Amino acid sequence: MNLNNISQKEFERIEAYLNGLLLDDDLTAFENILKKEDGFKAKVEDIKTVLTGIETQVLKEQLDIFHKDIEQTSNDNVSTDIKVRTLHWKKIAVAAALIIAAGSFWLISGDSNERLYSQYFTPDPGLPTTMSSTNNYEFYDAMVNYKQGDYKTAISKWEVLQKAKPNNDTINYFIGVAHLANKNEETAISFLENSIKNDEFPLVNDAYYYLGLAYLKEGNLEKAKANFKHSNIDNSKALLSKLND
Amino acid sequence: MQEKSPILAKNQGFIVAVQNNDTQVLKNLYVTNYPKIEILVLKNNGSKDQAKDIYQDAFLAVWQNIKQNKFVPKSESSINGYLYTIAKNKWLDVLRSQGYKKTIVASQLNHFEIKDEENNNIDDDILKDKRLEDVMLAFKNLGQACKSLLRKFYFEKKSMNLIAEELALDSASTRNKKYRCMQKLREIALKNN
Repeated sequence: MNLNNISQKEFERIEAYLNGLLLDDDLTAFENILKKEDGFKAKVEDIKTVLTGIETQVLKEQLDIFHKDIEQTSNDNVSTDIKVRTLHWKKIAVAAALIIAAGSFWLISGDSNERLYSQYFTPDPGLPTTMSSTNNYEFYDAMVNYKQGDYKTAISKWEVLQKAKPNNDTINYFIGVAHLANKNEETAISFLENSIKNDEFPLVNDAYYYLGLAYLKEGNLEKAKANFKHSNIDNSKALLSKLND
Repeated sequence: MQEKSPILAKNQGFIVAVQNNDTQVLKNLYVTNYPKIEILVLKNNGSKDQAKDIYQDAFLAVWQNIKQNKFVPKSESSINGYLYTIAKNKWLDVLRSQGYKKTIVASQLNHFEIKDEENNNIDDDILKDKRLEDVMLAFKNLGQACKSLLRKFYFEKKSMNLIAEELALDSASTRNKKYRCMQKLREIALKNN
């Protein structure tokens, strides 16, 4: 049977049937042919497949357009990110030039704290999310968001875990650094303070460092220095000597 | 007479919108659910391109299942879960396939402990049909004029009168044009076969 051999009238009738537009006598007549005529059912099925195919292919092409929007949005984020960073660098360069020119090292104002902060602050790189860490799925799931810079999502996921284990140093630490990366020092401080309660915490030196940075950003130099003192990483020492100068 | 609850009515509106290919609704659904699938695939030895392909396959299967009433979502969020499960299954199939077997240790697939009962009722093979694939490919390669016309009829579901008006044709010529485009499409699809 040649499926392709179909008149316009027949095609329109089949289409009307498939769309539920045949009524009463028309429908009965159509169903009779469907039962009796050899190969007619196959023809109807084929038209049905063709209609589904058209619709599906159109949507498929549409999905690519939707997808470009997703890519566009993430590219926009990246380029703003780069712009912001370049801006920071320019600010730092200009600021440094001004300071040197004026020789005004004596001035430790709120502004210079901020500068020092942005000079030193880079978000904690996070933990590797390998597949072997299966028993902590939720934790590492949030870590992926964190690494993508989606701090808000990461925080909301970790906060669920933190409620179940309020004293867990690792969770408190990462919620803290995520808040700090998200420019929310005040909240960051309370979580980071929780994370340093355990001396055995493997990241305790980093925790003191970020806690110091958070206090520096807030302008609390005493607490910033106290925390840098507890941290043995190089940046802490460098910052401490700058603050003591 | 009992009135429908607002939630149920809203949900039915959503299903109807999906069935009628409401672009905004489909786009929201697509954009909202993609990130989770991308993370899943990236975390499990896949690339962004693979994530996109798997996700689009899953999306089309979900849409088709909703259209054919094989899946009746109770809420918008149940669609999200359903879409995730189908995409996850599809990615698992890829990982299980020959090319990946050598590089992946079984223990690395621990995130995928999918309970069987969870998946018994899921049909994600709805679009695996040779003839359907032929038609889709044929439509992809169809001339622009026919493509646009058939799109208006079968995807946008515009009325004959509206389409005729857009084309500045009378209704009889529009119907004939549509028939000829269909013939052409079926011809190409058969040739591909």
